[in-house]
Amino acid sequence: MNGEKLSEDEIALYDRQIRLWGLAAQANMRSAKVLLINLGAVGSEITKSIVLSGIGHLTIMDGHKVTEEDLGSQFFIGSEDIGQWKIDATKERIQDLNPRVELNFDKQTLREKDEGFFQQFDLIVATEMKADEAIKINTLTRRLNIPLYIAGSNGLFAYIFIDLIEFISEDEKLQSMRPTFVGPISSNRSIIEVNTRKDEEDAKKTFERIKIKNSYKSLEEVLSTATLKEKMTRRQLKRVTSVLPLTLCLLQHEFNQKGEEISFEQMKRDAFVWCEQLGVPKTVINDEYTQQFIKQKGIEFAPVAAIIGGAVAQDVINILGKRLSPLNNFIVLDGITLDMPLFEF
Amino acid sequence: MPRETNLVKIIGEDSFKKLRSSKCLLVGAGGIGSELLKDIILMEFGEIHIVDLDTIDLSNLNRQFLFRQKDIKQPKSTTAVKAVQHFNNSKLVPYQGNVMDISAFPLHWFQQFDIVFNALDNLAARRYVNKISQFLSLPLLESGTAGFDGYMQPIIPGKTECFECTKKETPKTFPVCTIRSTPSQPIHCIVWAKNFLFNQLFASEASINEDDDKDWGTDDSEEIKRIKQETNELHELQKIVISKDVSRIPEILRKLFVQDINKLLAIENLWKTRTRPVPLSDSQIKGPTQAIKFDSNSVGTLQEQISHFFTTTRKLMDRYAKEQNHIEFDKDDADTLEFVVTAANIRCHIFNIPMKSVFDIKQIAGNIIPAIATTNAIIAGLSSLISLRVLNLLEYAPVTKYTDLNMAFTAKASNLSQNRYLSNPKLAPPNCNCPVCSKVCRGVIRLSSDCLKKIKLSDLVCLIREKYAFPNDISLLDASNQRLLLDYDFEDLNDRTLSEVNLGNGSILLFSDEEGDTMVRKSIELYLDVNDELPHNTCRLPDIEVPLLKVGSNLSKNEVEEANKRDNDIATATGSDGVEGIVVLDEDEGDIIIDTEQVNESKKRSADIEVSGGPSIKRAKLVNELNNSDVVELD
Repeated sequence: MNGEKLSEDEIALYDRQIRLWGLAAQANMRSAKVLLINLGAVGSEITKSIVLSGIGHLTIMDGHKVTEEDLGSQFFIGSEDIGQWKIDATKERIQDLNPRVELNFDKQTLREKDEGFFQQFDLIVATEMKADEAIKINTLTRRLNIPLYIAGSNGLFAYIFIDLIEFISEDEKLQSMRPTFVGPISSNRSIIEVNTRKDEEDAKKTFERIKIKNSYKSLEEVLSTATLKEKMTRRQLKRVTSVLPLTLCLLQHEFNQKGEEISFEQMKRDAFVWCEQLGVPKTVINDEYTQQFIKQKGIEFAPVAAIIGGAVAQDVINILGKRLSPLNNFIVLDGITLDMPLFEF
Repeated sequence: MPRETNLVKIIGEDSFKKLRSSKCLLVGAGGIGSELLKDIILMEFGEIHIVDLDTIDLSNLNRQFLFRQKDIKQPKSTTAVKAVQHFNNSKLVPYQGNVMDISAFPLHWFQQFDIVFNALDNLAARRYVNKISQFLSLPLLESGTAGFDGYMQPIIPGKTECFECTKKETPKTFPVCTIRSTPSQPIHCIVWAKNFLFNQLFASEASINEDDDKDWGTDDSEEIKRIKQETNELHELQKIVISKDVSRIPEILRKLFVQDINKLLAIENLWKTRTRPVPLSDSQIKGPTQAIKFDSNSVGTLQEQISHFFTTTRKLMDRYAKEQNHIEFDKDDADTLEFVVTAANIRCHIFNIPMKSVFDIKQIAGNIIPAIATTNAIIAGLSSLISLRVLNLLEYAPVTKYTDLNMAFTAKASNLSQNRYLSNPKLAPPNCNCPVCSKVCRGVIRLSSDCLKKIKLSDLVCLIREKYAFPNDISLLDASNQRLLLDYDFEDLNDRTLSEVNLGNGSILLFSDEEGDTMVRKSIELYLDVNDELPHNTCRLPDIEVPLLKVGSNLSKNEVEEANKRDNDIATATGSDGVEGIVVLDEDEGDIIIDTEQVNESKKRSADIEVSGGPSIKRAKLVNELNNSDVVELD
């Protein structure tokens, strides 16, 4: 299939998205090989979107059996599947979404896999990760130079971490009054090249093709060095959502204490330490959110999964289609206010 | 542990019980609708009714994840319900129908729901459901997507902006002369081929009804005369179509692409600043030497376009008689599409405009809006998420005033922001000038059908006048068609019954005070909901407050301000943030135009933009109108 032209059937099937990202991106996607780790609520959303969109190959790795609780947030399973291996129960339903996609299902856990297994993929998406597993897989993707997305949720709150190591993207936009110049545009991104071209139909319009270099950090580095100091104004810092320090707090606690419950007092103390490191005033932390974070820790909720799963899947499609600038590098969602800011660490 | 374990951890036992006993309506089972259905099932809504009139199409399958190849041509609503059975835990009730069909879905049918999720793809239905939600004070979650762009807006009647509070953009139109005489872009030729040529040849009943006061886009009488004459001559061409004599197809080509162009060339004024068109030469007008397959993604040569014009015209002429002398343009009907493609491209060539591929012309002629699974998933997720707050089910985030709730739209993907994936401005209060939600009071008259034949207009007026303390001089209008029924010097219909003056289920009456000098009763809009489950002789007027207002002042504005003051009092008690002014940004700031699939309309507001140096947080308001599904319309 690789490099071949899309067939008329494929063009008809993918009509509505080809009109958005073009034939070349669609063909690029067809030659991509993706690994998804864990098929929970977020994993199901990501699977659905990238399978529908016509990715070439997807391997789903999940070593869990279906529980009754899973039924509350996942749509590839039914009550008759309880006790089955999740990938056995979902196999057919996923393939049914798009028979053109080559699917692989794998019951083995991370621990049972060697490096060679991961090497075959162009991109890895990991969901429902414990912090130590996340850091481990990230170390591996860095070593193998594979783009990584990690998405996780704590009930109404969720995060996405992205590590593409280094990624050069090309965007095209209409030239505005102020032309674009080469140089850094934010802490992790800088413009390395700008080319212009005239519109074929309207000579007054000029398009700019902008090459942007995106740099990323590992999750381990983010957890030890993340800060917003000097990246935001004081006013902006004051308005940073508490979801950010609280999310980082849970991740770090999980990494340091492994599985141990966190008390309210401890959580608050840790959150304050995070505020300090981020440069965010402690006043952003309120008791209600702190309590809910503890209560909803690690829980998946369908609407939240739809939002972050959708965001991850779209970015995966964008970079595999080699279109549009990727996300960079930490995003949180507050499911109460629908706030969803991006932070560059 | 049971399936609701995690949900209960998030919303609590009480709220879970409330959700289980809630009934919601999902309007639309397409792109956003499939996603919403999944989400609200997993949220354990007790009962979900799904209305959709559409059937499944191949091009739906890239995003409407409940549908498969084998489901093509099946109804969306019932197919969706079948497809979710394995994970469903709610009572699902599908309907294949148009939500605007009043006999299938009368007003009282809507009343059973606690909340409505809109997942529609057209402006008319959005407006309709919005209106119903206003009459019934039913919370509505409005949403739409177009490609990477999407929005979600909760509408709480009386408390927050309704769908009509911001102006919706009307379809883009072109002056007649641009289309008929001086095209300069491919779209002009496509509109000519589809809306003018195709319709005149295959769809119209050969009636010439040129409207004299239309927007010609020119004052040149010579040109207007020519355009009118050309239309008449086209009916001559239609006779060729009717004759089924395919040997006369060259006559059609000669008329359209030689004679008409020569006539245009004769009008010197048109070509002072424009490049002159070049008519086809005789040698170019010839039929296909062999059958050619049109590649949908390439343009091909002029000669191929001409050959293909022959082929496709022949097919349509053949079909014309078989289909009762009427063929509608349909983007998925290859013959009609290819006729438009070839005619448009030949015209493009003549006018020195680049030709376009079938793929591109299909998009323009068929008003196709790109649509993807991910944006739909995100918007549906937001819509279902906010329903928890609209129904006030989050104990730890109670809603004290609805203007504290958030709408949301894509910011990063729409290039509106680099540091927000979503923008989430708070809901605005109703716009005091909104004709749908603010200018008048609204209520529902519930009556049994026998009343329509018994109650005279004068009886009804008495009832209304007494109930809401209106003076003697009033006017009564049938608001559905702006028909005057009664006023101080028009009383002819006084003794007629409601059915005699064509009032019935779904009629909307506008009742106004025409007497007040210093104080007037606010106008009231009354919906007639005819329900045969009511006992005979029932005619119930709504228990609503119709305020007395000062004449001359901006009446409804005062009122809204009053209401806002009340709301703000609550807010002050709970501590609100200091939102100060409203800044309207230039449209350029947004720099996006959304043409929609599901949307057809939407608005965009950038959230809380920082204003450097100023102490206050200014909420910047950017309203970006999305257009209707008809992107192009010929005046």
